[in-house]
Amino acid sequence: MIYVVYALIFFSAFFALAGVVGMLRMPDTFCRMQSSTNITTFGMIGVIAGGVLYSGFVLYNYEMLIKLIVMGLFYILTTPISAHAIAKGAYHHGNKMIEDAACDQYKEDMEE
Amino acid sequence: MKKASLPAIAATAVICFIFWLLLTGELASLIEGEPSLEVLIAGALVSVGVALFSARFFIHERPLFFFNPVRIFWLLVYCVGVFPMELFKANWDVAKRALSPGLPINPGIVKIPVELKSQYGQSMLADSITLTPGTIIMNTVKEEDKDYFYVHWIHVDSADHEEAGAAIKGRLEKWARRIWE
Amino acid sequence: MSILLYCAICFVVLAMVLIVRLVIGPTAADRAVVADAIDVLCDMALILFALYSGRGIYLDIALITAILGFIGTTLIGKYLEGKL
Repeated sequence: MIYVVYALIFFSAFFALAGVVGMLRMPDTFCRMQSSTNITTFGMIGVIAGGVLYSGFVLYNYEMLIKLIVMGLFYILTTPISAHAIAKGAYHHGNKMIEDAACDQYKEDMEE
Repeated sequence: MKKASLPAIAATAVICFIFWLLLTGELASLIEGEPSLEVLIAGALVSVGVALFSARFFIHERPLFFFNPVRIFWLLVYCVGVFPMELFKANWDVAKRALSPGLPINPGIVKIPVELKSQYGQSMLADSITLTPGTIIMNTVKEEDKDYFYVHWIHVDSADHEEAGAAIKGRLEKWARRIWE
Repeated sequence: MSILLYCAICFVVLAMVLIVRLVIGPTAADRAVVADAIDVLCDMALILFALYSGRGIYLDIALITAILGFIGTTLIGKYLEGKL
């Protein structure tokens, strides 16, 4: 069982690395937010799934297991809300997309 | 401010009580077989008290229909089987784009139509799309009895409303309709 | 066992790399996004350290950090939109 836990944690470490590299390389704010979602979803879910297996089958500590499940539920329920709020706030504050963006139908509709 | 009905208060109290059980660690005691009665009674009182005040912000339509075993079964199937598959595909796609040397992105904001009518279904679809890497909902708008989402998409395949909607929503909208309508 | 500790150290190192983006990020929204990501990475390190040491108290700290990060990010978003 412990090797399954290690595999899950390495899996989430790979996605966290990809998210960090993406956040350093992406050209504008919204693309950086996409990479940040990469960290928050699979990085966090991998660590929490590994922690649930580890605390349930290795430590036999059910209080930690319940707390980990609460943390997972909390992350899944609140991450989209803050991402939505900050994307809308950044757009209305005046952050521009990169110059050669494919299309911006939000701006076209706001100018009407 | 409209008043909350009695079923709405009951539904909010049940949800608050479940969160009380999770946060106080009482569920672990229940599993181990030695629950403390004081904590359960205090939790029930606090849940009803909170529900009296907050039900009218929390529930707007058809309060009791979530407590239906068929819907809870489909929600579990969605959360365990369908959504992680979509999440894995999108995560792998964005990780590959971030790690490849040429940085092959083509960002843009597209407008997609939504056929769902209920507010619960719309918010679940919006949260699922935002939680998937590669797409972020930026705003929602209602035009002529039809709802639209503005979505920031990291690689725009087509700027047409219907094609972009089919590519972004995929299977998610069918499942949201099956759970909430 | 100690692989858990090494992975926690890896997550902290990744969070330190993100400080570069926190310093050079051109606008306030960039800095808010990066601060949220650093918060999540520190949470992951805290969970791994709780599993390594076998104490539940670190999970309480991680939960409080998650709640504060969510409230802070949402408030910064509403403030930038101009509706606060």
